[in-house]
Amino acid sequence: MKNLKFLLALWRANLQAAMEFRSAFLTQIVFMVINNGAYFMFWYLYFDKFKEVRGWTLHDMMLLYGIAATAWGMAAYFFGHFTTLGEVIAQGRLDYYLSLPKPVLLHVLASKSIGSGMGDILYGVASYLLSGYLTGDGFLRYLLSVLAGVCIFISFLTIIQSLSFWLGNTVALSQIALSAMLTFSLYPSVLFDTTTKFILLTIIPAALVGTVPAEFVRSFSWQSLLQVTAASAIFLVLAVTVFHSGLRRYESGSAIQVEV
Amino acid sequence: MKKYLAVINMQFINNIAYPGDFLGRSVSIAVFLFIFAGLWKTTFLVTGTDTLNGLTFANLLWYLMMAETIELGRPRINRVISEQVKNGEVAYILSKPYNFILYHFSFGLGDSLLRIIMNIIVGVLITWLLAGPPPSPLGWVMALTAMIGAWLLHFCMMALIGLAAFLVEETNSFELVYQKMVFVLGGMMLPLDLFPEWLQRITRMLPFPYMMYAPARLFVKPDLSLFGQMLAGQWIWVAVLVFAVALAYRGSEKVLTVNGG
Repeated sequence: MKNLKFLLALWRANLQAAMEFRSAFLTQIVFMVINNGAYFMFWYLYFDKFKEVRGWTLHDMMLLYGIAATAWGMAAYFFGHFTTLGEVIAQGRLDYYLSLPKPVLLHVLASKSIGSGMGDILYGVASYLLSGYLTGDGFLRYLLSVLAGVCIFISFLTIIQSLSFWLGNTVALSQIALSAMLTFSLYPSVLFDTTTKFILLTIIPAALVGTVPAEFVRSFSWQSLLQVTAASAIFLVLAVTVFHSGLRRYESGSAIQVEV
Repeated sequence: MKKYLAVINMQFINNIAYPGDFLGRSVSIAVFLFIFAGLWKTTFLVTGTDTLNGLTFANLLWYLMMAETIELGRPRINRVISEQVKNGEVAYILSKPYNFILYHFSFGLGDSLLRIIMNIIVGVLITWLLAGPPPSPLGWVMALTAMIGAWLLHFCMMALIGLAAFLVEETNSFELVYQKMVFVLGGMMLPLDLFPEWLQRITRMLPFPYMMYAPARLFVKPDLSLFGQMLAGQWIWVAVLVFAVALAYRGSEKVLTVNGG
């Protein structure tokens, strides 16, 4: 409860900071919605020609984009440092967070907000609403899938970037991981062979934020429910464990830094 | 001329200094080709055909390799110009004895060269493994020639977006939307041949296909009359966009305000 209050305070402060540059913030949101829509045009053209591929139609792709975009947007808007955690560690900027009586990982992640994430959230919700899968229980499954997706996006990138505690600068590695995760999550895994599917469920868990939750929303099954919830819990525990074991090795210079 | 060659050289050397960074970027082309190989292999399998509008699976994958090489190798000078405008460095550059646009042209070219070479090497290796040997030497000649015009078009668009920073400062959003327009209307993700007729007609009137579709299509299906058409279209757009950049630059100089020193 104490942590939730702390999070709410951080999010309020982030929103106030964004409102200082209101037009830039709104522009980012609008352009991100246009960007996602333009990208989705590919699937519109593809399904205009092929109608269905292994049980996937345009509506299923809208659902997949709806889940992945909302999850990515929420992670980016509410926990914006999840894409730059490696830089914070490598540059010794954790000092600031370590000196405060708050959970370090939570504090770092939520202390930045990526404005365009709100555009992803809006696009994702609209894409879900238009997908034709809007029912009472379907909506609950969508919400659960999005929350699981947020956990997996953040946890996966936290694990990769925590390697900075051991390896130093991992910016290039993080960018590859981020790009692979995001790109693969936007394609249904029915397109790939068994080995690739296994990789997408484990090493690069992109299927867990795209295909698996989309199938869970399409029709309920205990297996998908277990996959979605267990995977997010496992990744979350792993991320916290890896980050904290790395934190024990953390060292920095005495540079004076201001985190804004 | 010497000073611009020096900028190209400097930027080329800069890229070599961070091999991890540019190798990392080359991984993107591998991910992209891997995904699209899966998509098109499944599509051909499901539709039970060997060709789609005259393109085989191998044609499509080599097409995508060339298109992705162009995308990853295009200049990113809009970000540099935008940053220079925001942090005031632009005042320092404007006072130097070189043309601001030509400086960025050289900077962008030096930056692109190594990336294009690396992406071609990685792309050829992956595509050869996934789809068999590359197209004929004539395809390479036509594609590399068309890549010059494509690169110039990208440069002009990036310069226009970068110069917009003189008015609005934040230009990343424009780049994102522009990139997606090239992805879709330029035929990067789906060749124009697979578009519905009405959309093909519209896109051929826009500059985007000349940035991506022209070199990639000529690469897999070299054709002399198409080569002529594409080159003509490309250079008409180059002329239009160079004129637009010159106008935008003159306008930007007038609205520039530099505070302090």
